[in-house]
Parts: sequence; structure tokens; C-alpha cells
Amino acid sequence: MDTEKGNTVKLLKEKRKVSTEAKEKLKEFTRTKKAIMNALNGEDLTIAQLSEKLSLPYNEVVYYLMSLLKFGLVQVGEIDDMDEYFTYKVVK
Amino acid sequence: MGKVTYDAIVVGGGIAGCEAALNIANNDFNVLLIEKDLSVGGKMILLSKVFPTLDCSACITTPKISEMARHPNITIFTGSELQKVSKYGDNLFEVSIVKNPRYVNIEDCTGCQLCEQACPVTVPDQYQLDMVGRKAAYIPFSIANPRVAAIDIDNCTLCGACEKVCPTKCIDFTQEKEEWIIHVKTVILATGFNLFNPEMIPRYGFGLYKNVVTSMQMERQLAPTRPFHTVLRPGDGKVPDRIAYILCTGSRDASVGNTMCSQICCMYSIKQAQLLMGALPMADVTIYYIDIRAFGKGFNEFYEQALGMGVNFVKGKIGKISEKKNGDLVLRYEDVCSGKLQEAEHDMVVLSVGVVANQDAQKYFTDLTLKKDRHHFVQQVDPLLNPSKTSIEGVFVAGSVSGPMDIPDSILSAGAASVEAINHIIQFS
Repeated sequence: MDTEKGNTVKLLKEKRKVSTEAKEKLKEFTRTKKAIMNALNGEDLTIAQLSEKLSLPYNEVVYYLMSLLKFGLVQVGEIDDMDEYFTYKVVK
Repeated sequence: MGKVTYDAIVVGGGIAGCEAALNIANNDFNVLLIEKDLSVGGKMILLSKVFPTLDCSACITTPKISEMARHPNITIFTGSELQKVSKYGDNLFEVSIVKNPRYVNIEDCTGCQLCEQACPVTVPDQYQLDMVGRKAAYIPFSIANPRVAAIDIDNCTLCGACEKVCPTKCIDFTQEKEEWIIHVKTVILATGFNLFNPEMIPRYGFGLYKNVVTSMQMERQLAPTRPFHTVLRPGDGKVPDRIAYILCTGSRDASVGNTMCSQICCMYSIKQAQLLMGALPMADVTIYYIDIRAFGKGFNEFYEQALGMGVNFVKGKIGKISEKKNGDLVLRYEDVCSGKLQEAEHDMVVLSVGVVANQDAQKYFTDLTLKKDRHHFVQQVDPLLNPSKTSIEGVFVAGSVSGPMDIPDSILSAGAASVEAINHIIQFS
């Protein structure tokens, strides 16, 4: 076993197939992450602006954006004059 | 298949289970604690603060679980499920357990999170009530115990990125389920409670209206390890200004099959209202209630403190919630004091969900009868004189597995259960 340490995944791959659902989830997150990062690259945007730009429902933007914030890829910008919506920007 | 003997097994690693295990272990008996989750700490470790003192919940829980995790007389199995408990001879129980693979060697993982950073997969984080994502290679939460990684194999794409970056080579995809047979002298059930599923009340719109959340979701939003950077509406990321609580969601309600008072909802809602007013000083918080049951030590003062802070209490039953185009929510309710139907608009609605029985415990005993009460909690056969005793000699209850209770009562209950368990061990040794 020691010789396999650090590469045990290949042993599981022989026994187990990755589900289509898992592959789809990965594709969807990668696609959305890329779209959000690209949209925020030039300017700071609010969730509403991102939603409009990406044609994604507001709640989905919240989920993805907050995940990217958690992973350290996005940071919080300013809040608007009404103290309602924050802008978000890419961590450089 | 491993075969081992312990003096006691504690089923459930929440605050009651931890307390019971520690008490028994401190009296020089060997204890096995099993927890189905990846971390011990139960629901309490995920709370923001506790009522009525507003002490930090994690600050109380973590020293206790650390003490337990390091105790030489305690063995902990996380990610493990109890399959069956049966009698073994006159004075022992035989317990079968399945230990699920974590795909990480706990002893070698340093919790560096490099695997997390390398993992490309993101799925909803169950410890943040699905409000934000987590990786498939992940540490359950920052104060988890053990604070080591795990692989969510159902969502893993087997890319091997985690293994490549792991500095201690602790990721091991060859791990398989382990079956254990344990012989013990006594069993303590500390499997806790479940929260009511608000989807059973469709008129509240939970799941449909994104700004209707549960009290546990709000609890996470108020915790230092929150899913968002501040309190936000999950529907559109707006900072909420008008927040409503609906008490007795799924408790004291015969229409959903739960007539019992959950005992904790009034107080945790009042606590959250106070915390919200601290987090969002400009927010208006309204609590819609049937009765405020502030029955414990310091509870009524805590309620009065909320009144003094400006929390608005409305005695009223909510008939229906509807959503406006902008995500705001309209509550239609009967104002009990005026006897009139009223409508009020809020940015966000928090459903103060009730406590329901976790019926897992009954499934473990196939050839023994573990009686349950009419609310499906484990029955205390002598609730006045021996509240930890069950219908099976040598099996005891700790915490909310026998009915709703708050944290101090759960700890008291665990104390009683551990004393009874120790007596049982001594008597039959």
C-alpha cells in the first residue's frame, strides 16, 4: 500500500464510476464561477447587476457569489446609499 | 470486523452525549462515543449565542468537546452509525456499528485545507444549511472536532487533486466501511432531536419564497462563522430592514401532528431578535406569537430586555405569506388583541421551527422494546423519580432524545443519565 500512498484515487477509479450528477455539478459551478469572475473583472457589481448581466436568478447569484467569497476569490466592496446592496469585486 | 468491550456506549455526540461520556470517563470507566456526523458537537456547536446569557455557544462547547476528545478513557467514532443493539448474556449488550470511510487518515491530517483549495467541486454546505457552497474535499466547519478533512465521495469526481497537494499523504481512497461488534455494560442514548420541516406548512412558502428562512438558517447568519459577510436575504443579497419571526412553526399545531410546545423557540427567537438589532441597528424586528413562554431562570427578564430594545411583539396567528415581485413578503394574520385581520410587509421572514422527535433510537432495538411516548420521543418510564430510565434495563436517555429541552436542561439530563449508567455498571460488574 505504501507505494500507492498519494495516488490511491486510481484504485478507487477502477472500482467506482463518477456519477453524471457530480460531473454536471462540477461543470455548472465552473461555468458560473468563470462568468462571475469575468463580469467582476472590469467593475464592481451588485448582485442585481450580476443577475442581469449573467441572466441568472438573484438567489443563484447569491449562492455562487457567497461561495466565491468564502473561497477567497471575491471580496466585498461598498454598500449603496440606501444601505441595502453591497458591491463585490475580484480579489487581485 | 473489530470486536471490543467497553463499559459504556454513548450514542450521539451532541452536548448531552459529550457531557455523559465525560462524566462516566472521569469515574474511570471506558466509554465509546459514536456520532453519525463528521464532527462531535451536535446542534449546539453551530449556534451563535445561547439564551439568556448571550454567551458565545462555540466558546462553551469547544472546551468541553476538546476535553472529551483528549480523554484517555473515551474513544470516539465519528461518521459512524449504530445498526443494532441486542442483549448479550445476562448483563451485557451487543452493539453493531458501521464506521463509514472518511477517505482521510484522521491521525495524519493537519487540517491545512490545501485539499479544500485544490478540490474543483462545489456543492451546498450542509453545515451552513445550504446557503453557501463547500468543496467535496472539506473540513466540515472551522471548529469541527476532529478538525480534519473528509471526502464527500458521492460528489467527488475522483480527479485526485486533493491527494496531489496533501503534504502528509493522509488522503486514502482505499478506505472502506468497517463493521464493529462492541460489548458494553450500559447504553446511553443521546441522539437529540430533529427540527420541524417547514415545507409541511405550504402557506408559509418555505422553499418557494427565497426570503423565508428557518431559525437555524438565521442562527448561522448570526454566528461568527456565518455563510455571508453580514446578515443578507438569501433571495437577492439585500440587507434586510424589516424582519419577522413566526413562532410555533410546527409546534402546538395539531394540523401538522405536533401539539407539543417545543420549549426553546420563544427564547431562541427573542435571542436572535436581540442579536439582529445588534448586527443591523436600523432593522425593525417583529415577533408574531401565540404565547410567550419565558418560563426559565432569567427568561422573563430576557424577554423584557428585548421589549426594551424595541423588538415588536404581535399576538397573532399567521394565515398566509405571499411574495411581492421585489422579494418582500406580505404576512396576513389575525391580530388576536384587536380581533381583526391585518397585513404587514417584511423584507425577510424567519420561521421559528419546532422540535420533533428523532426516532432513530427506536430502530436500534429490534429484539428489545424501547418504548416511545405519544410524541414519539423515547419514553421515560419514571419521569419524576428516575428521568433517565427507559423501558430497557441498562439503557438510559440523555438530553432531548426524551423530549424538548434547552441546553442547561440537556446537560442536567446527561448528568443524571451518567450517574444512573455508572450505578448500573457497578451493580452488574
